[in-house]
Amino acid sequence: MNPVLVLGGGPAGLSAAAELASLGAPVLLVEKEEYWGGNPRRWHYSLLAPDLLPAEEVLNPLVSRVEGAPLIERHLRTTVSRVEPLSSGFRVELKGPETSGWREVSSVVLATGFDHFDSRRKYEYGYGRYPDVIDFKEFEGMIHDDRLTRPSDGALPKRIAWLLCVGSRDVQVGNPWCCRMGCAVSIKQAVEVRQKHPEIDTYVYYMDIRTYGLWEDLYWKSMNEYGVKFIRGRIGQITQAEGGKRLLATGEDTILSRPTEVPFDMIVLASGMEPGTGTKEAAQLFGLPVGPEGFLTPKLSDLNPVESGHPGIFLAGAATGPKAIPDAVTEGMGAALRAYKHARG
Amino acid sequence: MLSAHQIREIVAERDARRRGTGKKVVDVREEMERLEEKGELIIHRIRPENAPVNVETLFGWTKRIPTSRLWHHKSCGQCGNIPGYPSALLWMMNALGKSYLNEPHQTSCTAWNYHGTATSNPVALAAVAARNFHRAYETDHFPLIHCGTSYGDYKEMRKLLVENAEVRHKVREILRKMGRDLVLPEEIVHYSEWVHAMRPEILARRTHDVSGVVATVHEPCHYYKMIPEDAVYDPEILGGQRPAVPTGILLALGARVADYSTWYDCCGFGFRHILSEREFSRSFANLRKIRPMIEEAHSDVAITSDTGCVTTLDKSQWIARAHGEALALPVLADVQFAALAMGAHPYKIVQVHWHAAPVDRLLEKMGIDGRAAKAEFVEYLAALKRGATPETLYPPRDEIEKYFAVNKGQVLPEEPASAASGALVAAVGRALK
Amino acid sequence: MSVVAHLPHRTPTLTDTEAAHPPALELTGRRPLTAEERRTAETIFGEFRADGRYREYVLGCLNCGECTTGCPAARFYDFSPREMLQIAAVGDATTLWDAMQEKIWACCQCYTCNMRCRFGNDIAGIISVMRELSVRHGLESTRRVLAPFNRSLTLLMTVGTQVASDMIQPDFFRDWGPFAAAGEKSWDADPHLLRQAIPIDVLQTTTSSWEVSVQTSLELFRIYEEAGVLDMLRGLDPDLTEMLIDIIEERREEFEEARTRYHSQLAAMHGPVATFSG
Repeated sequence: MNPVLVLGGGPAGLSAAAELASLGAPVLLVEKEEYWGGNPRRWHYSLLAPDLLPAEEVLNPLVSRVEGAPLIERHLRTTVSRVEPLSSGFRVELKGPETSGWREVSSVVLATGFDHFDSRRKYEYGYGRYPDVIDFKEFEGMIHDDRLTRPSDGALPKRIAWLLCVGSRDVQVGNPWCCRMGCAVSIKQAVEVRQKHPEIDTYVYYMDIRTYGLWEDLYWKSMNEYGVKFIRGRIGQITQAEGGKRLLATGEDTILSRPTEVPFDMIVLASGMEPGTGTKEAAQLFGLPVGPEGFLTPKLSDLNPVESGHPGIFLAGAATGPKAIPDAVTEGMGAALRAYKHARG
Repeated sequence: MLSAHQIREIVAERDARRRGTGKKVVDVREEMERLEEKGELIIHRIRPENAPVNVETLFGWTKRIPTSRLWHHKSCGQCGNIPGYPSALLWMMNALGKSYLNEPHQTSCTAWNYHGTATSNPVALAAVAARNFHRAYETDHFPLIHCGTSYGDYKEMRKLLVENAEVRHKVREILRKMGRDLVLPEEIVHYSEWVHAMRPEILARRTHDVSGVVATVHEPCHYYKMIPEDAVYDPEILGGQRPAVPTGILLALGARVADYSTWYDCCGFGFRHILSEREFSRSFANLRKIRPMIEEAHSDVAITSDTGCVTTLDKSQWIARAHGEALALPVLADVQFAALAMGAHPYKIVQVHWHAAPVDRLLEKMGIDGRAAKAEFVEYLAALKRGATPETLYPPRDEIEKYFAVNKGQVLPEEPASAASGALVAAVGRALK
Repeated sequence: MSVVAHLPHRTPTLTDTEAAHPPALELTGRRPLTAEERRTAETIFGEFRADGRYREYVLGCLNCGECTTGCPAARFYDFSPREMLQIAAVGDATTLWDAMQEKIWACCQCYTCNMRCRFGNDIAGIISVMRELSVRHGLESTRRVLAPFNRSLTLLMTVGTQVASDMIQPDFFRDWGPFAAAGEKSWDADPHLLRQAIPIDVLQTTTSSWEVSVQTSLELFRIYEEAGVLDMLRGLDPDLTEMLIDIIEERREEFEEARTRYHSQLAAMHGPVATFSG
């Protein structure tokens, strides 16, 4: 039996590879970066919402399952450059430091993931201009490494704001969809800040809070246990105040129905999720359709969200849309099962 | 800070996404070509004689800025109460050897009135725009729009005329009744874009050192908030994140441009408010703009590039004295500041006496002897009173042009065979029998 | 025709009776509308929803408030673009009527809301549509708001410029005037002389921003007539409208006289010429 190609080594890809190996199928696991774990590892995610479990406790077992499986042939810094269909399965050309050349695979799991929105595209927030305007993926690393200081002067901030939906739900930047994670992750970050530094004042600017399902608990606790403050209404622009010492967030408090201007030491932007570069490349490479948002589209998103509609190609994780880690892991398992069935013929 | 290359990538991404999903942003210039092919309109094209310079817009699109053989689309507010604005521009064109036509056969865009009182409608606004465009076309001079509101309004009208067949039809009918055709210029160009394109030439003729000047910029809303995709941005200026005009010319001249917290705010003009609810305009201008410009940015001058903004920011400071506040920040248009740096006469050309906020200290900082200039001007006024002939930037036109939209020989197109000159003959023919 | 039938993107669910009397939010202390006002309010509501621009400008709202963030009027008036959009999107005839009495005139038309709106609404545009309706229906409140504009409307309609330097008078727009910076003593500067000292021929006038040729102003008026602006203005101020027509009639006569006067000169310059139909 030819191996199953798993493209992408994030939570979905790792989960699919481990699952396939446990079924006894050989796996060819390919990741373009030099590490396993995808975006969570790339940005050093701190605690994961909603249970505030350290990211390592989720990622490490996934990675060690893969690394401990003899049936999985793993390649980092490797990409697929060409694909040719076979009567059953595919020929794929790999390019990487350890392996290059054509390989035959029985089926494919695309777990190519997402990219965070580049907040510089929302000009009025001054990201890239003002050092204390921070993207929340960078803020993850800051709290993970316990360096909660202002980039501009190294001081501990006194007041921090989170601004949700940056690059999500916004036609001005062409991204009208919801990222699903921004609310929970931002609230979680505010909680983490308050846990370590109760003296820091934390505000979340939102238009809707979408801590969906059981995650709502986090939202409630952030208020009644950690004193995170919520302002309904968005910050429309960020400028410098006090001679550049602080940031000035101008917004509307839509509950009080009045414009607000609040100086902050740091403002954290909850950047949205866009189809990853790998996802866009995979769509081209395998000739798969993408939706208006640019994500891969399952043939039957309700009945069979892991099937691409093209025989032998299966989809998992954020390649098909914004997704939480547990969902990505689950889809990895589902795609593994389908790919295994296809490989067995 | 990001590199220009990174900015370009971000801009391309923003363009691709916005054009691809949600709110469709189409380049109307492409649609204009299709309509011209179908015979629905005529595009007034930029020609080699217009010596165009390429710039980039918010979406990374290329915009061509014609720099010569221009038709001055004057601003009613500038000409009415800050005349140093157009005269500095015309003076600069003379100084840089750029040709132009400035004539009485133009109306304003009438959008000040529309945005203030709504006593008009889109068909009338579009027809007014198209009438002016056609007049520029038949003189074979490319329109250069002096006012930010005219610029924004004309871009809206261009879009409306291109996208709405019903309005296009109505406007064409109206124009035909006065013997005119539907003409849209290839680009809608604001004078500050011309100034921006002329930075090297202006810098080469700089006579005063302005490096000691701290300027704050007020970006005119109708320059970059109406049809934003067409406003000029430059990866090298303000990180490509704010419009390149009028900041670019200030930086090129060597002035320091300071940031302040209310940068994005409007000036408080309000179209209606500036005339009939002045307490609003005055309060807004002083509290939200002038004060932060002085207190946060310690600026010597506020620079902007629109009629309403100069008017509001400048003429609202005076009243603050009633509240015991001595606000005194000179407010100039970019072209006035650049003309001063090039040695233009502060009174005879830049007409600073029409500005309410005193400019004496600024002139001093620029190394200009304002007192001597004022004495010369007072002398000039006395001479005029004695019956001297007024000095003008171009020979005054004949009496006949008070009535008829004719062209005198000196502005006729050089090539008698061109389509545009044919239109001109038709225009003369239409006007008279 | 039922009002409901004009509602875009919505399946008619109300009965005609309900549509004719949509549920109005009567605020405490608010004077109820007279029967005539109610009729006008309902007509306006119907025209508002039927206007082609409505569908294009009013798309939906997430109530994020970014529009209000940058709104100058929201800082000084009981006004917010977010509220205006909500009224446009879900308001009934009475709510719309209320907003048209005063609120619509607070807007500065700066377009900051439009630039910010993540839903892509044209809020400044929909406010303009409301304003146009209030002018066309000659609302009493609109007459009051626009009363100070007779002078600039006259200028605008007859020569197509909004202001003139002779509006700067010692008791009126004094702070716009030349030498205001130097203090009151300098205010004796003769405006005619100062205009002569502007080095551009067409600016050497005090009665308009620049001299507009008669042909051009006749063409402009033709546009106003053809595009229905004159009819619209008649609803607001019939006397002003008649006056404008008189002024234009005089200009037309002036034009004819000049044509006779210059005929031979122009024929010599340009050869035989056709008639201007303005």
